[in-house]
Amino acid sequence: MMSAVMEQRPSAMQRATEGDADSFAMLIDPLLNPAYRLAAVMLSDRMAAEDAVQEASVKAWRNLRQLRGDEGSLRAWFLSIVANECRMTRRRRWWSVVKSAEVESERRTDLPSREALTDLRRALARLSPDERLPLVLYFYLDLPLDEVARTLRVSQSAAKSRIYRAARRLRSDLILEEVS
Amino acid sequence: MSQNFRRDLNREFDAISGSPSPALSARVRAALAENRPARTGPFWMAGLAAGLIAVIVVGVLVVASFNRHQTSVLPGTAPTPSTTPSSNPSPSPAQTPPDSNLPAFVCAGPVSLVGTGSPTVAFVDAVRTGTHSGYDRMTIEFNNGEPGTVDMSPHDGTTFTQGASGQQVTLQGSTGLLVIIHGSDEHTAYSGSTDIKTAYSVLLELRQVEDFEGTVQWGLGLSKTACYRAFYLTNPARLVIDIQNS
Repeated sequence: MMSAVMEQRPSAMQRATEGDADSFAMLIDPLLNPAYRLAAVMLSDRMAAEDAVQEASVKAWRNLRQLRGDEGSLRAWFLSIVANECRMTRRRRWWSVVKSAEVESERRTDLPSREALTDLRRALARLSPDERLPLVLYFYLDLPLDEVARTLRVSQSAAKSRIYRAARRLRSDLILEEVS
Repeated sequence: MSQNFRRDLNREFDAISGSPSPALSARVRAALAENRPARTGPFWMAGLAAGLIAVIVVGVLVVASFNRHQTSVLPGTAPTPSTTPSSNPSPSPAQTPPDSNLPAFVCAGPVSLVGTGSPTVAFVDAVRTGTHSGYDRMTIEFNNGEPGTVDMSPHDGTTFTQGASGQQVTLQGSTGLLVIIHGSDEHTAYSGSTDIKTAYSVLLELRQVEDFEGTVQWGLGLSKTACYRAFYLTNPARLVIDIQNS
């Protein structure tokens, strides 16, 4: 006779919180692509972006208990760690950019030539990484406004305002209602 | 928002980022396998063992000191009580300033501390609590110098919003104190508890509510509105927060 009692299998988040690296890797695997795109736009350096995603993944893994099993917040939480890692990367390398500008320019050969830049890309290049961040989250990664706010760790109205301000610098005729 | 604008923008983002290398996923998996999170169990056991040893050593020293003082203490030369937390003594109690040199307790409004010679990021490596006659104490120790700025302010109620997740947490007590440490990091060198419950009379619970972008925040749950003071100690660098309990 079959037992009527079935054991409930622990969720991937539970297993990850208990220290199962494979479960955590499975959880963040779908997030690696958006995380990489976010990092690449913030850093304008594809190699550094992959390094930042790897480092952020390890930090998230070490601090997973902070999420307290809330799988629904994983994406915003992870992307906020990636964004923070990008800021740390930029801080760490400000001096190395001065010391080894030649090496840096070699690493950027994967970017299009200056002549090929469109007006929009020039305008994007004038934005700081932190100004690009809300645009990437909202337009590129297509996150809902509440998740953009959680990733930026601000209120929804503040997130909307940041998106609007950054987008206005790209398109001056933008009106606030278009960011909804 | 014009769909053309979104499309054009995304095309530019695509051009900047390209696609991640196919090896990224495997690379992350390998990094995760090599960097398992610290388990709390062994730290608790090590802490318990260290605590027992400390109690034995302190006991022996107290007995020896008492025996010596019975024959040598002169009238009017009674030792000054230490301001070092009793539950987790400071590693260098002799460098704790006497009470007369400590700042006055503040009973309303915010308090700020500005560090000297602060590193870009001050790494927290220990958080301790203790209770004394007159105050409950929180001590945050840094392994590379005191942080640039610390802001403290009374907090209505004991519900705090956690950084990153945006979740709200409610601490024990009826009112709170928010401690914001700018230019600090609590995930690199610190592996202790981020939610400490005490059985003290005023300071009931301490909880880390943010460790992000070089900013560390702790929420303190208090049993009642209380005056407080904060100051730095050196060698090692420590931030000390006292909450009046009488």
